[in-house]
Amino acid sequence: MISIKNLHASIDGKEILKGINLEVKAGEVHAIMGPNGSGKSTLSSVLAGNEDYEITEGSVDFMGEDLLEYSTEERARMGVFLAFQYPIEIPGVSNMNFLRTAINETRESRGEEPIAAKDFLAMVKEKSALVELDNSLLKRYVNEGFSGGEKKRNEIFQMAMLEPKLAILDETDSGLDIDALKIVSHGVNTLKNQENATIVITHYQRLLDYIVPDFVHVLYKGKIVKSGTKELALELEEKGYDWIKEEVNA
Amino acid sequence: MSSTLTTNKVEGFVSHIAENNLAVWNELKSIRQSGLKAIKSLKFPTTRDEYWKYSRTTKITKNHYHFSQLDSIKGDLSKVKIEGLDTYEIVMVNGFFNAELSSLPKNDIIEIKSFEECTTEELTSYFSQNLDTITNFFSALNTAYFSEGIMIVAKGVCDKPVHVIHYSEGNNVISQPRNLFITEKNAELSIIKSSINQNTENFFYNSVNEFFIGENSHMNYYVIQNYEEGMNVISTNVATQEKNSNFSAYNYTLKGDWIRNNTNIFVKGENCESNLYGAYQPKGKQHIDNHTIMDHIMPNCESNEHYKGTVDDKATGVFNGKVFVRKDAQKINAFQSNNNILLSDDATMNSKPELEIYADDVKCSHGSTSGQLDEEAVFYLQSRGLSKESATALLIGAFLGEVVEKIKLPELKDKVLEMYGME
Repeated sequence: MISIKNLHASIDGKEILKGINLEVKAGEVHAIMGPNGSGKSTLSSVLAGNEDYEITEGSVDFMGEDLLEYSTEERARMGVFLAFQYPIEIPGVSNMNFLRTAINETRESRGEEPIAAKDFLAMVKEKSALVELDNSLLKRYVNEGFSGGEKKRNEIFQMAMLEPKLAILDETDSGLDIDALKIVSHGVNTLKNQENATIVITHYQRLLDYIVPDFVHVLYKGKIVKSGTKELALELEEKGYDWIKEEVNA
Repeated sequence: MSSTLTTNKVEGFVSHIAENNLAVWNELKSIRQSGLKAIKSLKFPTTRDEYWKYSRTTKITKNHYHFSQLDSIKGDLSKVKIEGLDTYEIVMVNGFFNAELSSLPKNDIIEIKSFEECTTEELTSYFSQNLDTITNFFSALNTAYFSEGIMIVAKGVCDKPVHVIHYSEGNNVISQPRNLFITEKNAELSIIKSSINQNTENFFYNSVNEFFIGENSHMNYYVIQNYEEGMNVISTNVATQEKNSNFSAYNYTLKGDWIRNNTNIFVKGENCESNLYGAYQPKGKQHIDNHTIMDHIMPNCESNEHYKGTVDDKATGVFNGKVFVRKDAQKINAFQSNNNILLSDDATMNSKPELEIYADDVKCSHGSTSGQLDEEAVFYLQSRGLSKESATALLIGAFLGEVVEKIKLPELKDKVLEMYGME
């Protein structure tokens, strides 16, 4: 589904990603772990099309298209979804209005008619139940005054509404208590199928108890330095990142 | 030498306007003469005058104007109609009342009459009460040469809002409407002011509205400014509040080449509430200036002021809000805020919030912010599939929407939201 080759990216002249290689196939869940500052969030921002970053080398193929050639909104319409580590609060814009606009612009780009109000409401009802998101929150402004857990559940709710091909979850577990973590994971797992793929970016192994990955990668100093299966995550949890750093620096 | 020159310029400007035969009868003579007297001692304002620091009036004063009474109009008045809202309508064409196009009430609650029908007492007790004709050239000009005027008196709770539609058409035409709005004791009245212009070039619209909000009465004044090209606008609104009254002035500017709004409220009784809300969004080379004065003369009152604007391209926005709390005006809550978003590198915003407090037991705040659109929020919306344009429009709508939401008439609120491109 997505094939990242030798991806280099920098911000303000400082190189953060120094040659990422990653291949994710439909139906797979990949976890990307790594210590702070290793480039995890940069990778997700770059894939989503954040223009603050400059791509200096490498390529990203997404379902046969050169992803880097497309704008943020075009990538979203092609099926790339980023669940933000820190979802943005947007006072004055209601969740519902925002989502309807997002869905309709995506449909329009595919030459489809706008969604009927009745269908939209039915979809909202179904998908919000999935992450146990209170309907009163949906009528409120985007993320404004939401708790940390509510913001993350709202991210997964948006993901459910937009039905992406590739979902990138950036530290979705940060700031979540165990109950919220279970709800969010349940949402992600329910949305998973053989046609889509998920990249889970996380600092801790805990989330991977609930969203079980097929592959685990360790990102360090802007490169993937180790790959394995879910057992690698357990090893990291037990031993920390120091042994990886030593291996790399040796 | 230079002073003579300036005076000659004023004389030249005024003599063209004076050529027209405007209505003058005994009651109006002394009023017009007071304006004329003031003009003679005044020069055109310049940017050296603090009150006109950010708004150059030479583009108005360099031209000569004439009044123009039209038998028929080219424009379509229906586009300012508010869907679903039944209103009385007063139509003024180039500053002259047009009875044919108007739809006036036929009841005892609301009285609408021309100045000709007013008594001397009525005119003198309301005219120019708090209007600065001494230093403000344009207010003096309107007082000397207002084209025509209407007095609207609400004697009780009015069943429908009064929609005043100002239509402008012509080249080098001056329009100087003058209206008086009065709510008597316990009355309630909402006024909507809309404007339409067609085939205008170097049109100078210089209106003065005076509002008298009687004891325990409520008045809401909504102004929608949506001008096509060719209009220079100075709109002066002066309100005087008696005790226990409530006055709210709303000003929504969609577009206009050059607009200066002066909205001043004088609170002369206790337990009053005053609200001032406004939104503006100059684009291109437009110039939109809002000056307000909120003057608390008596104690135990509250005022809220909130103006918001987005400035794009090479446009200029000006906000100057002055709040006075006089010596005897204790226990005043006065809040003022002005927020701006600059959408381009060439846009200019001049914001000057001012507070002068002479009482010692008051709660006042004022503040001004000017910033850029939240890039992170734009990216967030784009990452969900919204184009940059719709993301920006949604955020601007949310920003300006806060002051549009203050409109108390739902049908009008929907119309203004729609005009700003919000849902």
